[in-house]
Amino acid sequence: MNDTVTLAHGAGGKQTAELIDRVFRKHFQNRYFTSDDASVLPAPAGKMAMTTDGFIVSPAFFPGGNIGKLSVCGTVNDLTCMGAKPLYMTCAFVIEEGFSMEELEQIAASMEQTAAEAGVVLVAGDTKVAGKGQADGCFITTTGIGEILDGVSTSGRFAAPGDAVIVTGDIGRHGTAILLARDDYGIEADVKTDCAPLWNPIHALLREVPGVHVIRDATRGGVGTVLYEIAHEAGVGISLEREKIPVAEEVKGVTGMLGLEPLYLACEGTMVLFVPESLTDSALRVLREQSYTAGAAVIGRVTAENSGRVIMETEIGARTYLPEPGNELLPRIC
Amino acid sequence: MKQMERAISILREYSGPEVRIMEVCGTHTHEIFRQGIRGILSPAIHMISGPGCPVCVTGTGYIDEAVWLAEKKGCTILTFGDLVRVPGSEESLQTARAKGAKVRTVYSPQDGEAYAAEHPDEECVFLSVGFETTTPSSCIAVKNAVRDGIGNFSLLTANKTMPMAYEAMKDSTDLFLYPGHVHAITGLSVPRMLADTHQVSGVCAGFTARELVTALAVAVTNFEKGGYFFVNCYPRVVREEGQPEAVRLVDSMMEPCDDLWRGIGRIEGSGMKLRQEYASYDARIRYEIPFMQGRTNSGCRCGQVLQGRIEPGQCPLFGKVCTPEHPSGACMVSSEGACSAYYLYGDHQTLL
Amino acid sequence: MCVGLSAKVVSIKGGVAIVDAGGAKKTVSSELLTDLNPGDYVMVHAGSAIAKITADDEDETDMLLEDIR
Repeated sequence: MNDTVTLAHGAGGKQTAELIDRVFRKHFQNRYFTSDDASVLPAPAGKMAMTTDGFIVSPAFFPGGNIGKLSVCGTVNDLTCMGAKPLYMTCAFVIEEGFSMEELEQIAASMEQTAAEAGVVLVAGDTKVAGKGQADGCFITTTGIGEILDGVSTSGRFAAPGDAVIVTGDIGRHGTAILLARDDYGIEADVKTDCAPLWNPIHALLREVPGVHVIRDATRGGVGTVLYEIAHEAGVGISLEREKIPVAEEVKGVTGMLGLEPLYLACEGTMVLFVPESLTDSALRVLREQSYTAGAAVIGRVTAENSGRVIMETEIGARTYLPEPGNELLPRIC
Repeated sequence: MKQMERAISILREYSGPEVRIMEVCGTHTHEIFRQGIRGILSPAIHMISGPGCPVCVTGTGYIDEAVWLAEKKGCTILTFGDLVRVPGSEESLQTARAKGAKVRTVYSPQDGEAYAAEHPDEECVFLSVGFETTTPSSCIAVKNAVRDGIGNFSLLTANKTMPMAYEAMKDSTDLFLYPGHVHAITGLSVPRMLADTHQVSGVCAGFTARELVTALAVAVTNFEKGGYFFVNCYPRVVREEGQPEAVRLVDSMMEPCDDLWRGIGRIEGSGMKLRQEYASYDARIRYEIPFMQGRTNSGCRCGQVLQGRIEPGQCPLFGKVCTPEHPSGACMVSSEGACSAYYLYGDHQTLL
Repeated sequence: MCVGLSAKVVSIKGGVAIVDAGGAKKTVSSELLTDLNPGDYVMVHAGSAIAKITADDEDETDMLLEDIR
């Protein structure tokens, strides 16, 4: 077998079968994965949640993960945000001609491992090969179905004045790790992506502390973007305390050099939760006992005033808007 | 923290004569807003955001030159991120990039030179903007190119110097909050001269919340006492003599030229360009760039904002046609511009 | 106009220094500063160390504020 993916692998013939056998069937072995045109699945008992997401990331491999792990975490975490236990996932690959077969297999292996950890089954997949230059490396689209836990209902609209705003860990690590991996700025730092499937810790939280209002993963656009989305959806204000926002020293160093704000950098294993005030302590206790969320912290409160706005209380006790994110993130230097 | 609380209460409770303080530096503007410092000032203290954001004072024609190099000459444009979204007459570097132009953001001019060395097939042009703080890095990049025998690297210069701008601005303010990092290079003779000759007072400030609050408290306390003064509130970085080595380096490689400041006009001797010996590293000479006038939105009042004559909200375009997503003028597009800061950080009054 | 960051000099060689800010390392030019040594703190801007730094901002601002009593 060739060591790179060629257009022949996408032609549907013998070589396509070879690719599927070597890479996908090997790693996506389970009782639902079939050679037929569609998988046949038992229906969940309760309400379902369904989500889809496309992943393009350059480079495909970065400290702490790769696009495969990312694509499973992304969909698992989207389901998790609705209080839905991830059950089934599909994945569709668009692979650029010339992509390394070994790397493709590593990507599939990461998907297998991450899916197993989150308890989700990869039930179907598709592979297309694009000509050189028609795609950049490897693109993955994943779709997931989950079963919503009985009695759980979360939505950005449920954010209410008095709620505590919690982040499940330090912020901005994925965005920083990717920025460093691209090596556009010649900065070196030991920053790994936070990319992780959060169903297990969030499941523990929902089981032990019913009544969480909002769960949102702070992916593209980071925590700042999520907070603005929720402030708009619920028609509330959000007040943050800058000194309480957890940011790793290395992330502070990198963002400080480039004049970037960690609140706008992507997280792939860190969520934003809105929890009624009375449940705050128990929520923090449960989260801090779980892996991936041990660094959970309250960063602010929901207010009735300043609707649609995120307010920052700064280190000198002054208050100002957190700028509403938009636009491409660009370093600010000169 | 105790001293800090005292500084904050000095600023909150200031009841001396009305005082206008111009922060000359865009990074100061940005930090003052980001830290919410305007929100703790007594109503008698008025902050004015001056012309010290290199992106804001760089003319539209400069962006047109860069776009021309990318599109007509196929050059790779290496730039600080700050300039990517600035609108030119027709296009920004961002829209040119979407059409296929090669535009790369870099951290420093030296990194730009290193990129050129690694890509000998590309004609690389670094967009050399900035004040005295940044100019030495551009010179080092050219020096490195000479040393390494790199022939595919040049600068499109729009470097500017502050002293003439202080002169031009001194009637718009009672006090300058001098840019600490400029004076880290140039030293303190100009601010001291301006205070000694009774033209305008000032303090030189750092960039943390603590440094800014301290510098402002020192400024208003001295202002209330009366007379002209200058205090260096950033001595851990700014020495009396600056960095003579940096000044010497720049003088040996660049010379002053007249320069156009967006919205302010031509200020004699306020620009810097490479000396004749380095002409082959000057993109204007190397690529024979035609003169570009540059057109701006006629309603844009950036110029008056930069001179502290109006607040951003008084511009008819502000927040309506001119937003950070669709900026008409450079003060909105630069994240350090006054309009952008007003728009993004909001009107502090409503938060109290 | 001048985003700066204080950083510690890790190593220095031939006009070039590696500096460290909270674990983020970057190679910058050190030729504007004479007599720079590993362990010194510097202010870094756009690829150059522009000043050697003496104290942290807290001591300095406290002293300035004491002066305006």
